[in-house]
Amino acid sequence: MTTAQFLQNLLNGISIGSVYAIFALGYTLVFSILGIINFAHGAVFTLGAYLTYAMAVGQFGINGLLSGLSIPVQLPFPVALLLGCILSGLVSVLIERLAFRPLRNRGGDALLALVSSLGVALVTVNAIQYFVGSEIYSFPPEIYGDIKPAITFSISESVVVIRTVQVIIFGVCMAVLVSLGFLIARTRFGKALRAVAENPATASLLGISVNRFILYTFFLSGFLGGLAGSLVGTSFGVAGPYFGVTYGLQGIAVIVLGGLGSIPGSVLGGIIIGLIEAFVPPDYSAYKEAVSFALLFLILMVRPQGLLGQSQIQKV
Amino acid sequence: MAEFLNNYGFLIVTVVQQALLGMSLYYPLSAGQLSLASPGFYALGGYIAAIIGTAELFAPWRDLLGKAVFPLEWIIAGVASALLSLVIGLPALRLRGIYLALATIAFVQIVRVISLNLSITGGAIGIFGIPQLFESRWGYIWIFGPLLAATLLFTWRLEQGRIGRAFRAIREDELAAEAMGINPTRYKVQAFIIGGTLAGVVGAMSAPFLNTWNARQGTFDASIAYLAYVLIGGTRSLWGALLGAALLATLPEILRPLNDSRLIINGMVLVIVSIYLPQGIVGALARLRGAGKKKGVPAGGKT
Repeated sequence: MTTAQFLQNLLNGISIGSVYAIFALGYTLVFSILGIINFAHGAVFTLGAYLTYAMAVGQFGINGLLSGLSIPVQLPFPVALLLGCILSGLVSVLIERLAFRPLRNRGGDALLALVSSLGVALVTVNAIQYFVGSEIYSFPPEIYGDIKPAITFSISESVVVIRTVQVIIFGVCMAVLVSLGFLIARTRFGKALRAVAENPATASLLGISVNRFILYTFFLSGFLGGLAGSLVGTSFGVAGPYFGVTYGLQGIAVIVLGGLGSIPGSVLGGIIIGLIEAFVPPDYSAYKEAVSFALLFLILMVRPQGLLGQSQIQKV
Repeated sequence: MAEFLNNYGFLIVTVVQQALLGMSLYYPLSAGQLSLASPGFYALGGYIAAIIGTAELFAPWRDLLGKAVFPLEWIIAGVASALLSLVIGLPALRLRGIYLALATIAFVQIVRVISLNLSITGGAIGIFGIPQLFESRWGYIWIFGPLLAATLLFTWRLEQGRIGRAFRAIREDELAAEAMGINPTRYKVQAFIIGGTLAGVVGAMSAPFLNTWNARQGTFDASIAYLAYVLIGGTRSLWGALLGAALLATLPEILRPLNDSRLIINGMVLVIVSIYLPQGIVGALARLRGAGKKKGVPAGGKT
């Protein structure tokens, strides 16, 4: 591997890894509060990409109920992205109200939360297919404004190409991570959120409305999911209603690697999985997906609490 | 009758086949372990049958054995799945709860990606033109039917005996079971192997039934479908998988007039059942019967 190739892989890996990180944080926030994995998170990722596309581009193809639809008003991309993320957050709140809270109130098994969130994912994905079909939608390159599509520079006669989209994605993800870190670590809101995650019963005795904070958590989680979906969509296109499924499972590999419930762990896990994928040699690129699952299996065998998670002592 | 079988024969065989796959998930679940590994073994079994049925290498076997090659495929698939379940199960069953579920999801994904890329499994296209055992689809009831009957009988006998009691003890409280002298790892791995072997044999029987075999047979979606059969039918009864499969496998057919939106309704059923029927259909029926009995007891009578 030449230096240029190495650098190229490194940049690709960090860019996609930062998206994995914010996507995985959506799982982590919900897990740290409810102790469950929200399998509908991959569907929110997909939905977010479609919502942003609808508002920024608004041209739909020939399949589905809304075939041939073109939305007359197109919002500037940053506004569409923000609205898309907010709507994804609200959908996530709706999922909590419809699929998780009723189960919690009935004291249902954690396994059932898994099934009901999968049911929600099934509904969401197929509703998208029902309305807009399963075509691939691509964002036009000019959504990010009038910028060069790629930056190229050369090292010892080989060329390294950085797509501008990758740089923007990385920048947005870092900005989100820093703000989220600040929100959780430094504000009153974050303190309350951490209290609920630590012990809901005690938090509620201290006057924190646990259910309300669960809703906030789902909103944040959905916001991050929608953001990740939209960013991946601008970079690689929105590849049909099922395009979130693979990312959904990939995201689970990330959170297990980093440690379930650990926020720094999700970021580290995301970057690591992004880098590993980028460094899979081109001849074996078809096995890319298997690599992160092999890693998931391995880490569960060797260190089930993940890289930065805390091991749990089983209580009798 | 002929017309009925023509229209519904495939559906009935599918229900039985899906019920068997639900059963494969029921064994680990009856020992309190959520394993989603079944589609991995199902895919493996199917590939074994498809390769023996079509590859040039096995042509002498097929010529020599004739139809007897099919039972041989089932046996090879069963043995291979049992061995692989042992290899996967020994390390994986040290994990509990969601961790085990995640490890088994990883296993299914790895099997899927590998089968998508090997030339022996036909890559993304898969293997097609697999020789048939019966002339019609309905004929396959003569293998899936007896296998389901045998599985139910086996499970019923198992649950009456020592192993079944150990499974239940581990499900209720693993530490307490261990304190009573039960070796949890041994029984959990046993439950996992029984389930994996069953899924492998069903896969080997399904490859001719479906005629083609590809990486779409063993997916995460399939894991969820099998889990849904058991949960919706009821996790505490061996009839749960059969009931759940009968309901969920026929639902798309009943909803066929709705066409595109039927998977949406399928998803809603999953949500509603997990919230309102947490014990599954079998559990809900048992509760209804229990309530009926209580009403029958006269006030002040001996209870």
